[in-house]
Amino acid sequence: MTNAIPLEAVLVVAGALFCIGLFGALSRRNMVGILMGVELMLNAVNINLVAFWRYLEPRFITGQTFALFVIAVAAAEAAVGLAMIIAIYRSWQTVNADSVDSLRG
Amino acid sequence: MTLVIQLIFGLVAALIIGAAMMVVLVRNVIHAALWLIACFFGVGALYLLLQAEFLAVVQVLIYVGAISILILFAIMLTRQVTGEGVRQLVGGWRLWLTVAISALLFAVVIVPTVASQQWNVPPPLGPEGAPEPLAGPAELGRGFVSEFLLQFEVAGVLLTVALIGAIVVAYEERARRRRVLTLAEEHELRKRAAASDQPAGD
Amino acid sequence: MEPLQIPPVNLILLAPLLTVVGWASALLLVDVFLIPEGKKKLTGYLAIAGLLVAGLVGLPLWNVSGSTFSGMLVLDRYSLSLTWIFVIVGALSIAMALDYLPRHGIEQGEFYPLIMFAVAGMILLAQGTDLIVLFLGIEALSITLYILTGFAYPRLTSEEAAMKYLVLGAFAAGFFVYGIALVYGATGTTSLAGIAEFLGRQTLVAEDQTLLLAGAGMVLIAFSFKTALVPFHMWTPDVYEGSPTPVAAFMSVGTKGAALAALLRVLAFAFEGVQAYWLPVLAALAAITMVVGNLGALGQTNVKRMLAYSSIGHAGYILLGIMVASERGAEAFLFYLLAYALTNLGAFGVVIALEQQGESVWSIEDFAGLYQRRPMLAVAMALFMFSLAGVPPTAGFMAKFFIFTAAYEGGLGWLALVGVITSAIAAYFYLRVVVKMFMQEPAREVQPELNRGLNADIIIAGVATLLIGLVPTPFIFLAQQSLVALGG
Repeated sequence: MTNAIPLEAVLVVAGALFCIGLFGALSRRNMVGILMGVELMLNAVNINLVAFWRYLEPRFITGQTFALFVIAVAAAEAAVGLAMIIAIYRSWQTVNADSVDSLRG
Repeated sequence: MTLVIQLIFGLVAALIIGAAMMVVLVRNVIHAALWLIACFFGVGALYLLLQAEFLAVVQVLIYVGAISILILFAIMLTRQVTGEGVRQLVGGWRLWLTVAISALLFAVVIVPTVASQQWNVPPPLGPEGAPEPLAGPAELGRGFVSEFLLQFEVAGVLLTVALIGAIVVAYEERARRRRVLTLAEEHELRKRAAASDQPAGD
Repeated sequence: MEPLQIPPVNLILLAPLLTVVGWASALLLVDVFLIPEGKKKLTGYLAIAGLLVAGLVGLPLWNVSGSTFSGMLVLDRYSLSLTWIFVIVGALSIAMALDYLPRHGIEQGEFYPLIMFAVAGMILLAQGTDLIVLFLGIEALSITLYILTGFAYPRLTSEEAAMKYLVLGAFAAGFFVYGIALVYGATGTTSLAGIAEFLGRQTLVAEDQTLLLAGAGMVLIAFSFKTALVPFHMWTPDVYEGSPTPVAAFMSVGTKGAALAALLRVLAFAFEGVQAYWLPVLAALAAITMVVGNLGALGQTNVKRMLAYSSIGHAGYILLGIMVASERGAEAFLFYLLAYALTNLGAFGVVIALEQQGESVWSIEDFAGLYQRRPMLAVAMALFMFSLAGVPPTAGFMAKFFIFTAAYEGGLGWLALVGVITSAIAAYFYLRVVVKMFMQEPAREVQPELNRGLNADIIIAGVATLLIGLVPTPFIFLAQQSLVALGG
């Protein structure tokens, strides 16, 4: 594997995923859409970590372990975030991030 | 053999990037969630290609099996699916600013940094032809109880707190909580109660 | 299969952290099973007791130092002092919330254990010496705070604030881990000691270290989000306004303090080798933070938003101490954090006292003529405003004096000058409140509500502010002693 694919290629894919997720998180109006963008960003980080593990020090397990912790944190944040979206929907009857914006000013 | 690997990598990378683009661009948010699932599968396939099998399975189990289902539930419970007539992306200059930021981050920061780094990729361990002794689930398990014990425990506490928090936030009963009276309304009530006592006492 | 080798772990070094987490977990169960609805204040008292016990547990550890968990967690006097500060912040915030929650109809027993878990996250940030541990600490703290921000449920703005905070926080977390991943790729390790060793081995040529610098830059961006440095501060006024006021008080002091404490360790310990790169960036950040934070508060008529902008400005001052990264700077940082914590908690306490039931208007006009109705409350608020503005002989003045001298001695004299000028500008909106309280007539019927917990909080904060200002020497000594083995 390491002979066939250079490390840079994997990292560029991860970087592209991170930037697409960034774009999604910043420009989507639906709050669930914003959270999906954040999930893409965290996946990109995981690809980075696993790539670093595989190419640079495949005998130690640090990279994979960190990736597992990132997955755990992403799951926790998604759970709390989606619970909040549901709670907001009950009061505001919308999940449009621009409508739920009464505090500005 | 290398050609096959490169081909597979190209397909997986195309799946990941393509599905991610669809996630952020489609109108219908349920479609976006389904494209997200496709992207997660792609990332899992990439982990398999990178020989992190345990992580690939965990990816599918948790991201596809739990988080995506959670997202779909949330979408269905906050039913504003089709988005017809409602713009899905922020409009005008903010959109271009976002595109600019993402593109700049990619082109100016990430790609040059990655390309210019001197990677000391160590040569494959072990004799030619034999499978490499990579760290796998055994080392992972060992690591969790030795080197990464603290992070393991803290992650447990974090997940517990998130669980409690999600329940506290979304619990149905909160919606039926009585609205608290403002001071002015309390004054009114007290005045009315006092006034209505008077005629009864006469 | 070889038997598992579990390395020896020195749990003594974790005693305060374990106490807080254990007590909070037990409190959750006790609250659900033993404490009936309507008596939830008992949970609050138990939470305060737990935090005080954790603080006491730390007392005999003053002369103990060491690292455990294969170097990922360290106990030194720096982290011990920070632990005590966080415990005090947590206890005072809970004291403020004891009556606030039932008064606004949002009392739920889970509030108090959640605050304790947040304090545990802060202690972890103070003690961690590995980037993964710091990440988990920040996330534990942040997730708890997202939930707590949304606690004032009947008020719509509370949920909105929580959602905004969560989206931006998750975003920052994404940047944080991306940065850590890049640093890991560049150095092969995530422990702060390992990074320092890596940098020590290299000759520093910029081109070779782009990956490390890019990673460090992303980590810095993430920290700036969490501590609300400009230009990543946009969430702070909205979130402080929307959240329940005790939570806003807790956040303004606790999150900033913990994140900045971790940043100090990361910068001074791990990235010392690349100081030439991050120093100018941080200097610029500190300067605009001080300017924008203080200018932003000038036009505010909402007290909570004013205090939010003021806290942004103060984060800029605290950043001065971190940048200097010398002994002097770190001492000044600890002292400033203590002074700022007590003052801010007092100021928020007065805001809670004046907060009208069920309304969501925290207008500055409510303070008009306070001296005539509740003189002691007005005097206390005046004390806190003087301290935040940096007027002698309060704690705030001493703290600013130390931070500015440390910055000047560390070669950042121009930043100290910016700090002094912005403090002078800031004095305007702090003193405006004082003028309103003492010189104006009360505009509308405002009933201050005080109770035991709130009284205790305001009195403690007020006495401490005055004490630290008049007799700073023991506290300075404490701060100095805290750094005896920093980085060791």
